[in-house]
Amino acid sequence: MSFLAQATSTTTTSGVTFPTLVLTAMVWSAVVFAVVALLMPNQTQDQLRRMKSLGSTGAGAALFFAVWAVETQVSQAAAGTGGIPGGDLFEQHGWLSSFPIASTYHLDADGTALSVILVVSVVFFCAALAAWRNQRHVKLLTVCLLTLETASLGILVSYDWVLFLLFWTLAIAPVYVLARAFGHGKGERVATRYAATGLVSVGLLLLAAMLIAFQAGAHSFDMATTPVSLPGDGEAVAFWLITAASLLAMAVVPLHGALLDLEEDSSGVLSAIFAAVLPSLGAYTLVHVAVGFFPATSGSFSLFFAVVAVVTVVWGGLAALRTDDLRRLIGHVGTVFMGLVLLGVAGHTSIAITGIMFLLLARGLVIGVLMLLASLIQERTRRARISQLGGLAWQAPFLSAFWLVATLAAAGVPLLAAFAGDFFIFTGSFPAHRWATTVVLAGTLLASGVLVWTAQRVFLGASRDTFDRVRDIGPLELTYLGILVGLIVLIGVVPGHFAEVFQNGAGYILFPGVA
Amino acid sequence: MPAPNGMAVFATMLPTTLLVVLAAVGGLLGWRRPGLPPSFHRWLGALALVGAAAAALVALRGVALSTNGVGLAAYAGGVVADRFSAYAVLLLCGTGLIAILTSGAAEERLGSRLPAYHALILTATAGGTILAVQVEMGMLVVGLGIVVISLVGIVAMEKTAEAPGVAAFRSLISAGVALALMLYGLAIVYGATGSTDLAAVRGHFLHSAPLEGLGLALTLLGLAYLVGAPPLHHWMLQVASASSGAVAGAVVSLAVAAGGIALIRVMVSGFSATMHPWVVVAGVLGAAACLYPALLSVVAGSVRRLIGLGACLQGGLVISALVGSGRGSDLRPSGGVIALLFGLVVFVLAIQASFQAVARMEEDGIGGDLAGVRGLARRSPMAAVLLSLGLAGLAGLPPLAGFLVRILVASSAVAGGYAWVAVAGVAASAIYAIAVLRWIGAAYVEDEELPAVVPHAPRLASVVGLACALFGVVALLLAGPLLYAADGAASVLR
Repeated sequence: MSFLAQATSTTTTSGVTFPTLVLTAMVWSAVVFAVVALLMPNQTQDQLRRMKSLGSTGAGAALFFAVWAVETQVSQAAAGTGGIPGGDLFEQHGWLSSFPIASTYHLDADGTALSVILVVSVVFFCAALAAWRNQRHVKLLTVCLLTLETASLGILVSYDWVLFLLFWTLAIAPVYVLARAFGHGKGERVATRYAATGLVSVGLLLLAAMLIAFQAGAHSFDMATTPVSLPGDGEAVAFWLITAASLLAMAVVPLHGALLDLEEDSSGVLSAIFAAVLPSLGAYTLVHVAVGFFPATSGSFSLFFAVVAVVTVVWGGLAALRTDDLRRLIGHVGTVFMGLVLLGVAGHTSIAITGIMFLLLARGLVIGVLMLLASLIQERTRRARISQLGGLAWQAPFLSAFWLVATLAAAGVPLLAAFAGDFFIFTGSFPAHRWATTVVLAGTLLASGVLVWTAQRVFLGASRDTFDRVRDIGPLELTYLGILVGLIVLIGVVPGHFAEVFQNGAGYILFPGVA
Repeated sequence: MPAPNGMAVFATMLPTTLLVVLAAVGGLLGWRRPGLPPSFHRWLGALALVGAAAAALVALRGVALSTNGVGLAAYAGGVVADRFSAYAVLLLCGTGLIAILTSGAAEERLGSRLPAYHALILTATAGGTILAVQVEMGMLVVGLGIVVISLVGIVAMEKTAEAPGVAAFRSLISAGVALALMLYGLAIVYGATGSTDLAAVRGHFLHSAPLEGLGLALTLLGLAYLVGAPPLHHWMLQVASASSGAVAGAVVSLAVAAGGIALIRVMVSGFSATMHPWVVVAGVLGAAACLYPALLSVVAGSVRRLIGLGACLQGGLVISALVGSGRGSDLRPSGGVIALLFGLVVFVLAIQASFQAVARMEEDGIGGDLAGVRGLARRSPMAAVLLSLGLAGLAGLPPLAGFLVRILVASSAVAGGYAWVAVAGVAASAIYAIAVLRWIGAAYVEDEELPAVVPHAPRLASVVGLACALFGVVALLLAGPLLYAADGAASVLR
């Protein structure tokens, strides 16, 4: 990708300066395809095929620009500028200059954003490929998926509160409509509950934004100036408002019900997106905004994060052990991952924050693969209960192999994606919270054990007659699962590719003045 | 202000005169020549509104060339032409133009009364233009009276059906109460200050004087009637539920536009926003006016009622914006007014788009309850698009500009020291958004086995409705220039 990195230079050899538009292209390309899809007919099979290819192309375009952006930063990491805002990805244009509080179209990306950008764009692309099998509400699915991708990527690169809130709110409607359209029985209730949660998050973030805009005295909604200094209790109030909104989106215990129901009730492709992407956006907000804006305040409340991390991981592990629903189990494992993120925040060291970035990258890929595999199993066997499954490795060896790799990755096995994240988080948090780190480690092992046990119950054992006609994965599934699993292995083997970007990003979050 | 002269009279009253004269011409032609096609009256009305808008722009040029460059006053300072009045007249004419262009959807129900309907839209707009230029109590009452009577008349035009007739009667009663409240309020203010001139009233105003506070509160309550704020909001719900989509859209959008302009002229330009008593009353009224319809919307049983409640919510936001129009040191004085002026454009278009969806559903024979809306996207794609964009605009969901308006209004309220008003506005918008998502979801998701409506050529009304809906997106992207215009208009009110 080095050619891409070189191509982002803002100045040509002739001396003419062109604006950098990589992030703009990344954010808006998906929604442009969504608008085209909206205008296309969808009556015949040919038209439906065109609609699906439009969806894949839109997600592919966003992925292309996302990789471009990430590789640009990776190539500059050694110089110390990759992973820190204000570099080649910086975009700022006037927008609301006539209002007393100015707002601009300001896009940029730091290390945390880059890790989640990669996850979001890859998972959406793979989901768009997986959606080729879908025959229901094709237009609705295509338009909503692409809009949700734009909203998700927009959240990650917005450096202005108005833009940030706009993208946060934009994500709610597509999730609602998709959950309702593809829900299994509880669609409307689940969708409404999640939408309400999302709107509460937006409300909390809006209050925090206004507090910061007024009390910081800059008369601006810009988010680039960190750390934020507010008089009196302003810092603590703004910090807790942002933290509450983030924890709601991350679905940590006890705020996890809405997302878990959503993941369980939706169809496979959507479960993968909801489980892999939505909590990551909350985690990004917690790390980039809450911690990044108020590093000192967040450090002083590290015990709170340690306690919530312990509760989340232990509860998630035990709930995973108890559940008999395959997708809910994966949802619980995702919750455990979020507990690890909280432990990293509690650790409040560069190593721990670097670990969070690695973990967010790995988590999205691993949970995405597991959800997609779970939906394939459910689709092929017509069963969602783990106790009703068994011996599938005989009929679907490739599917079993993918599950096993994803399970091992979730367990944090070396040479797979999550290892670096787990290692850095535990190492970075142990000095500050020894007991919490130990308990979280035990909880993580419990969740990993449950996943391995599940693999044994679902895939191993004697072959069952009822599953004789179960197909293994085909070329389409092999393509998107191969991309996800390939990345899991690749990141596990060469974590150093991202290490400097993430380290720079962590330095920017904890020591913004120094960075 | 310079001394009154012919130019000032011309600049301040030309849009109103044009509208009244052409309303009279249209009405007379409709009476004397009943055979004239509906399109003639439509285009005559459109011509009048475009002419009035052009006259406002000419007046704006005259203001720029005047000695002080701020405004031209006429009739002993009772009316002024300034940047605010130009903005307001353009907004009102735009609203009236949309109402005229979408009247085709109600042609069948209006029958031979269509010319009178168009004439009443012009007189309502003319009344609004008086509210835009007035800075004196007498002109305020005249303007408000013309608007209210015209709007009640428009509703009554559909008298062949029982429900619109009842709605017109109830609107008339509510209007009477509102006018009475406002008159009592103005009388008390006059008694306390000894002047009917709003600027002079401000000079005589004593902080925290109970009598003056009561007068301002009553005036505010009376004016809030137009924007559908409680306790006088029932008329708006009645009209939304009983009238045809086109008529309801015209009445509600004109009322919100005229009401918003009157509120700004009276409460901000007149009774300065720095006066504490009425700002507190406005805060309470604004919060209640946001929350009450939002809570009702959760159990709304028809899409008409949902839109009506959404319009009332916009009225609540209009009043909430007022609290951020003067107080506080962080914002420039007119932060709330800028938000409100920008918001009025957005609200009017969202209301019109929503009611055009209703009109389209009426045309396609689709009921307005949840069962009717189910699967609407398949049965009537145009109605579904209009409904979803219109409702999303009313709820302030992105990518529509209503979202930005809420942020600006909330920011202004916080800057004014009324964070609780901002919280109420945001909470109400969130609750209403949940209700709206339920209906939009039903329109796109539910696959009822009902026959698809035979598609027919798009009518002018639907095209205009779609343009209104899409403008919500454009207004978000082009918020900079629109806010610049609003800032210019607000600057003369400081």
